[in-house]
Amino acid sequence: MPIEYIRSVLGIFGESPFKPVHTHAQKAVEAVHKLNMAVDAYCHGDYITVETLNTEIFAIEYEADIIKQTIRKLIPSSIMLPVDSNDLLSFLKPQDSITDNAHHTAHWLTLRKMKLPLEITEGLLELMERTVKTVDAYESTVDEIAKLLETSFSKKEIKRILKMIPIVEELEHETDITKKQLQQKIFDHEDELGGTGVFYLASLVRDIGNISDSADTAADRLRTMILRR
Amino acid sequence: MDFFDPILLAVIVAGLYMAWNIGANDLANSMGTSVGSGALSIKQVIIIAGVLELVGAVFFGDKVTSRIAKGIVPIDEIMAVDPDLVVIGSLAAIAAAGFWITLATFYHMPVSTTHSIVGAVTGFGLVATIYVDSFSIDQIQWLVLAKIVISWLTSPLIGAILAFIIFTIIRIFLLGRVSDLYNLEKKFIYLQILSACFVALAHGSNDVANAVGPISAAFCAAGVTTGGVVPEWVLAIGGIGIVIGLATWGWRVIETIGKNITELTPTRGFSAEFATALVVFFHSGISIPVSTTHTLVGAVVGVGLAGGLEAVDLSVIRKIVTSWIITVPVAALTSMIIFVILIEVL
Repeated sequence: MPIEYIRSVLGIFGESPFKPVHTHAQKAVEAVHKLNMAVDAYCHGDYITVETLNTEIFAIEYEADIIKQTIRKLIPSSIMLPVDSNDLLSFLKPQDSITDNAHHTAHWLTLRKMKLPLEITEGLLELMERTVKTVDAYESTVDEIAKLLETSFSKKEIKRILKMIPIVEELEHETDITKKQLQQKIFDHEDELGGTGVFYLASLVRDIGNISDSADTAADRLRTMILRR
Repeated sequence: MDFFDPILLAVIVAGLYMAWNIGANDLANSMGTSVGSGALSIKQVIIIAGVLELVGAVFFGDKVTSRIAKGIVPIDEIMAVDPDLVVIGSLAAIAAAGFWITLATFYHMPVSTTHSIVGAVTGFGLVATIYVDSFSIDQIQWLVLAKIVISWLTSPLIGAILAFIIFTIIRIFLLGRVSDLYNLEKKFIYLQILSACFVALAHGSNDVANAVGPISAAFCAAGVTTGGVVPEWVLAIGGIGIVIGLATWGWRVIETIGKNITELTPTRGFSAEFATALVVFFHSGISIPVSTTHTLVGAVVGVGLAGGLEAVDLSVIRKIVTSWIITVPVAALTSMIIFVILIEVL
């Protein structure tokens, strides 16, 4: 390699952590969509597809971890960001949990094969549908950060993004209600399901619930990050 | 001493080498930001920068040049005793600065050519007190030197403040109001071309002195030029050297910078460049040599502080301050050593 005879000002420009933050959010969406397919396959007794999807989600989770590490490396103390770097990191954490929880749930699905009562199947599919909606809405909000940066945090853009966050929270709330109803239904069918079945399904539902909880927390921290700048 | 004296020729060659370095790296740095935002192609940058650098050097470069030639070390006093000492001193100063810049560039240190030449010239002044009895340390213009050194601190600072203000105005009145951001940035490309021109002009007016200052002093001592003013053809030598540096190597530097700073959109680039050009051109007007590159770094930080950049790496500031502190004594010492060697040999 030839010696680079260069003195440059390039060093002053740090690499933006915001683009990988969005990629990281997209990984969460990808994982949750695949989980949705996995739950659907599970309800239809297609356990092979569940296994395949679990492997794929595991790979996504690994990629998300790598992105998270990259982002952390991009923000040493000498880097000046338009937002507080601690706020950015504390919003990244719950965002990472979305993928983590999706991965836990997918793994849990592979552990036990069981035939579900129709009411439970319907409940599970509805819960997943709402979870997907919540995470999708969350990702759209994160996508808006780019606009926020382009306008350098114009009041208009701040207002816009702050209006999007309650949508995520509302969707999470609805998901929560569905979750609670489903939990009740599981116990309603306890004779049919058996103790292990109830334990298995209750854990599954709690894991799914954690996904939109994480999206909700991440959205809330995103708001803190924007407001505190 | 006539024009074809070997020492005088050596001063010109060393000055041209310095000019080449300034064009290859400093000017390239100042212009690279325009390529990064897509405002100009590399070819366009080289043409624009070449023309305006030359204009800046020839028409506005005399003040800083004469400041470096005789404003720090009053060469008239030394010339009265032995004009050859001034020619040799000029060679020592320009060679020392050129040597240090070469070394620093290979090690990618953010060293300023301005700091190098000021240090080297001061070194010559110090060593001259040993050889000229009537010339004492008190005669070196310490007050002027202090003013210059202070301006090295204030120029990036003022650059930052100005860039902050300019970008904040753009942010409040344009970025926050227009609906079509893409179109706005596109319009700013034209403004950025103007600010890039201004940077080249300002750079020429200030930095040409780093190469031509010692040449001018040597010419004056050798009787090639007479009177107090720096002739335009002398300034043109430096300007042409800088343009050659830009054309032969600077394009590589511009390419590297342009490829890596995609973040600097035209609105941000304009803010940083316009602030830099204002500060540098102002200092040319008051005969103070400042570092364009360091001012630009300050201006970029200013845009960052105004929330215009996604990430600014402040660790560079520490590196700049370190190299700043090292450069002046190293250049001064090298200049003194070269001077002593030349005196002993010749």
